[in-house]
Amino acid sequence: MQQATETGWLGSRRLTTLLIIALIFGSALLVTGFGPMRLPGDQQGYEPAQPIKFSHRLHAGELAIDCFYCHSGAEKSRHAGVPAASTCMNCHKNITSTFGAFRAEDDLAKKEGRPPRQIVSAELRKLYDALGLDDARKPDPAKTPKPIQWVRIHTVPDFVHFDHSAHVNAGVTCQQCHGTVQAMERLRQDSDLGMGWCVNCHRTSNKSGVAGKPVHASIDCATCHH
Amino acid sequence: MSESDPKPTTPADDWMTSRRTFLRAAGFTFASAMITGCQSSPIHHAIPYLVQPEDVVPGRPVYYAGTCSGCSSGCGVLVKNRDGRPIKIEGYTDHALSQGGVCAVGQAHLLGLYDNLRFSGPRRDGQPVEWTDVDAEIAAQIAKVKAEGGAVRYLSGTVSGPASRTVVEKFLGGFADARWVMYDPISSSAILDSHERTHGARVLPRYRFEKADVVVSFGADFLGTWTSPVEHTAGYRARRTPDDPAVPMSYHVQFESRLSTTGGKADRRFRVAPSEMGALVSGLAALVARKAGTELAGAAAPAAHAEALAEVAERLWAAKGKCLVVSGSQDVQVQALCNFINHLLGNYDQTLDVTAPSNQRLGSDSALAALLDELRGGRVKALFIDGVDPVYDLGLATELADAIRRVPLVVNFASRNDETAVASKFVCPDHHALESWTDSEPVRGIVNLSQPATRPLLATRSVLESLSAWMGEPRSILDIVRSTWETKVFPRQTAQPVFLTFWERSVQDGFCTVTPEPVAASAFNLAAVKPAGEAHAAAAGQLEVVVYPTVGMLDGRHAYNAWLHEMPDPMTRVTWDSYACLAPATAKRLGLSEGDVVRVAAAEPGASVECSVVIQPGQHEGVVSLPMGYGSRLSERFANVGPQWLESRTAVGDDGRVGRHAGPFVTMREGARLFDGRPVQVSPTGRSRPLAAVQLHHALTAPEELDGLGFERRDIVRQTTFAELHDEKSHGGHGEHHGGPSELWPQDHPVTGPKWGMSIDLSACTGCSACVVACQVENNVPVVGRDEVMRHREMHWIRIDRYYEGDGDDVSFQPMMCQQCGVAGCETVCPALATLHSEDGLNQQVYNRCVGTRYCANNCAYKVRRFNWFDYPHADRFENLVLNPDVVVRSRGVMEKCSFCVQRIQEARIAAKARGEAIADGAIQPACQQTCPARAITFGDLNDPNSALSKANHGRRSYRVLEEVGTEPSVTYRAVVRNREGGEGHHG
Repeated sequence: MQQATETGWLGSRRLTTLLIIALIFGSALLVTGFGPMRLPGDQQGYEPAQPIKFSHRLHAGELAIDCFYCHSGAEKSRHAGVPAASTCMNCHKNITSTFGAFRAEDDLAKKEGRPPRQIVSAELRKLYDALGLDDARKPDPAKTPKPIQWVRIHTVPDFVHFDHSAHVNAGVTCQQCHGTVQAMERLRQDSDLGMGWCVNCHRTSNKSGVAGKPVHASIDCATCHH
Repeated sequence: MSESDPKPTTPADDWMTSRRTFLRAAGFTFASAMITGCQSSPIHHAIPYLVQPEDVVPGRPVYYAGTCSGCSSGCGVLVKNRDGRPIKIEGYTDHALSQGGVCAVGQAHLLGLYDNLRFSGPRRDGQPVEWTDVDAEIAAQIAKVKAEGGAVRYLSGTVSGPASRTVVEKFLGGFADARWVMYDPISSSAILDSHERTHGARVLPRYRFEKADVVVSFGADFLGTWTSPVEHTAGYRARRTPDDPAVPMSYHVQFESRLSTTGGKADRRFRVAPSEMGALVSGLAALVARKAGTELAGAAAPAAHAEALAEVAERLWAAKGKCLVVSGSQDVQVQALCNFINHLLGNYDQTLDVTAPSNQRLGSDSALAALLDELRGGRVKALFIDGVDPVYDLGLATELADAIRRVPLVVNFASRNDETAVASKFVCPDHHALESWTDSEPVRGIVNLSQPATRPLLATRSVLESLSAWMGEPRSILDIVRSTWETKVFPRQTAQPVFLTFWERSVQDGFCTVTPEPVAASAFNLAAVKPAGEAHAAAAGQLEVVVYPTVGMLDGRHAYNAWLHEMPDPMTRVTWDSYACLAPATAKRLGLSEGDVVRVAAAEPGASVECSVVIQPGQHEGVVSLPMGYGSRLSERFANVGPQWLESRTAVGDDGRVGRHAGPFVTMREGARLFDGRPVQVSPTGRSRPLAAVQLHHALTAPEELDGLGFERRDIVRQTTFAELHDEKSHGGHGEHHGGPSELWPQDHPVTGPKWGMSIDLSACTGCSACVVACQVENNVPVVGRDEVMRHREMHWIRIDRYYEGDGDDVSFQPMMCQQCGVAGCETVCPALATLHSEDGLNQQVYNRCVGTRYCANNCAYKVRRFNWFDYPHADRFENLVLNPDVVVRSRGVMEKCSFCVQRIQEARIAAKARGEAIADGAIQPACQQTCPARAITFGDLNDPNSALSKANHGRRSYRVLEEVGTEPSVTYRAVVRNREGGEGHHG
């Protein structure tokens, strides 16, 4: 009979069941090492390998290239944008490898008494391949230009409309959402990009302002959801 | 188990034995494992450009000025391009003709670009082939025809562009016997022919409704489907602004057989059988002639409407030089009489421009008739068909298709497998107009230039490139257009001395104004004017047929377009079907009710069609009217449109097509195609096929049968007269003010910043439904198909309610969308807080919170909420390119509704904030307002006393629908005004 098996909320049978579940859960977490419990879609810490080992630490940190040089859409569009290969070529037309590799070749060439050879790093060769260029950065008819397929890290669901320009123009720094990108060798998602995280920041900003200026950060649903 | 029962204790050894417990535990474990296991989403890629175009910022729209190719009116448009793909057609305010308006067809023809069933490359005998192969074969056959001196015919719709004309003429110039035949599926041939007789020049005048104090139309649906509806709507509307007593409102009289949207707007409307029309025009001509001191010999006074004609003649004479008489007749005699009237009234060069005439319809039915004779006689050796579908248009399916098949060389530039393309040996598909350079000269002196808004998506080729290739001098379309403009257009202007600047300016503007080529007109030829034939009543038991274009389907050239099929016809409110309209009395006499299937049959040459009846108030009793454009091959694709589920029914009829083709009822007589007047027999079949009509879905009025039960008739639509409006003593159509702030709910969310609102001028609205399609495109509103519409599940966010006044002679249209109530019924009943108020007064619908209880829709006073019963089909990835990335595609089970285009509000707000300014008045235009050819919609800030909206709301005509229930709507309507004597206006 059903009634006979029914018991109080913390009856021994249910408690046991819960404990078993907790045990399964706990061991699953231990085995897979997922760390803290998260909501579906939360990709905080996502750090995928990219087709080209691009280092933000080198470009944004060491060389201190302005974020907007490459992500030029951030000021004027909803998308910050991934730079076109042509943007990379503004510098990498001439810089074909690391400084260390150049110096090593220079030294070697001096030692061997010959003009230094062209050094092209393996990673940058991928860029030239994408553009259909040879090592001398001249169009190579044998190669078909093919855009680079970067792996997208920061993404929000389709029903969320995030606008970079609104935030950048309000004075929000890139690091506030993206973390210390200038220190990341491989880019990692710093924040969880969840709605709670967004709304908390909007609320705090309304109280304390952004970059010393009072702001009005809307917390209306339709600001992002339309 | 009663409450007093003590809970039995569980034996300790029982816990493993329960199957239910095990399943519960297992289920929870599985769910937990799923949640923890689903951490990694699918991998998304970000693929940037290799070389980024200079002016492209991903995520920012780029607008290109261009020309609409939906019909031959040549309206200017702005093509909104996002990340390389056109996603919306926007009105172009600076364009000389369209002045910011785009009609429903113009909005919808964007979908054709992403049509999967468009020809993806050339075909021979229906099989895909390579361009090089067809070029070689066609060139060889052309050489053969040239050598033999055979007859070459180029059949097209109206082509007015300098580049197109130059290339086609050059191409035809290479043959000994070549002729270019143009025809318009919706013909205005008689107007052109009549001017050839009376003015010595075959021209279509440019009608200037904005200059006319009195407009008399004999069956011309100039606001709907006549020669240039958007341009005419703008002109007409300029004189229908009743708020300023200093600008007199125009007086509009309409004589017509069926009820057109134009007729519904008229100040006086008369129902006239097509056979009486000639006598009426003759009668009016005689009256005007007498006033002008001449005589129209042989004109008999018409029996009917004599008094009305006398009054009209009086009014016309009083407004000499400032009036306009137009006719939709295809009888050259009737058109010549109209010319005569306009001539006597001194309207030429005032309200009718024949010095810079229109090129919007250049077709000649007599030339077409001659070509048909040649085809029948097998005398044509090569036939080129450009942009028309004669086998369908002319309703001569098998006969003409066979004649075309007998022509040795047939080349068709069709984009889709229409009736004629099936019969054509070679199909060399043209680009979609958005993919190509095109030009046109819709009015002499106004030359449109349209740049491609995207690369060609398929292996199509411009007609002009094809012709050049076959002439042995292949050139790119840009080269062709540019060089023609340098030699043909550039010399016609003096403002720009350098061609390069002229060209770039024209590309940027999308059009240029040049000196019109002179018209070689002679003095008015009175001898050409003869009274039109006497009225010949139809035989007993017979009705006269009227075949007419609807604002959505036109002649059927867009019958592939799901948006246009789903758009309810403004008058009948029917979707996804054609029908036979009968006057209520006629239907009663025949014992027919709405939805009964009738057989409409004509003798010699036999034509018959079976379709459902629509009872149409305002129509003449002796008339049955049939819409054009249905029943074409292009609509065969809709067998499975809409969600496919257990009970879904197809949108097509027994013959696999949407609606029935009315073309066979069009007759060719004396070189003119006649669309009305043919006697037909209408007989019931005893069957019934309900139509997917939406008028009674979401109705705001209580049904009439409840009248006696104490239900109040609400004045949803208010109507007044010009006299009453400016009479200080009357309430000017303002109606009584009802209610006030709601007592039920406190005003707990005061709006301090901007509060968005809208004002809709019902007097301006023509019901054209452009807003319906514009909203659909902008907001990714799905197409649901005929069956779902019949289940009241249409998804349109804006609908145009149609109200008849009296016997149906007065028609009012009321665009109805979410009223963004201040005290919204929907918000109080939502258990999920998925619909709630924003700080700028919007009623937000949050899809991701919605759980689909549908309480909100039930509690909405305006019936504007739409529920996603399905995940509507988005399987066609090519077609998905048309989706607006700024608006989410809603999934099954959520409610949706008009958002006041909140994505546009956000965009304007972000832009204004970036500049550190307040949002300027007019910076936000919802899609409906942006496209409206009648400028009926004003959007703005209700809290700004200086906004255009606040000013509009202060007028005496303003009222809010269902104000009395205390919803505090943000949408204000302005009452319909008719130019009548005081007191004739009614409250709807």
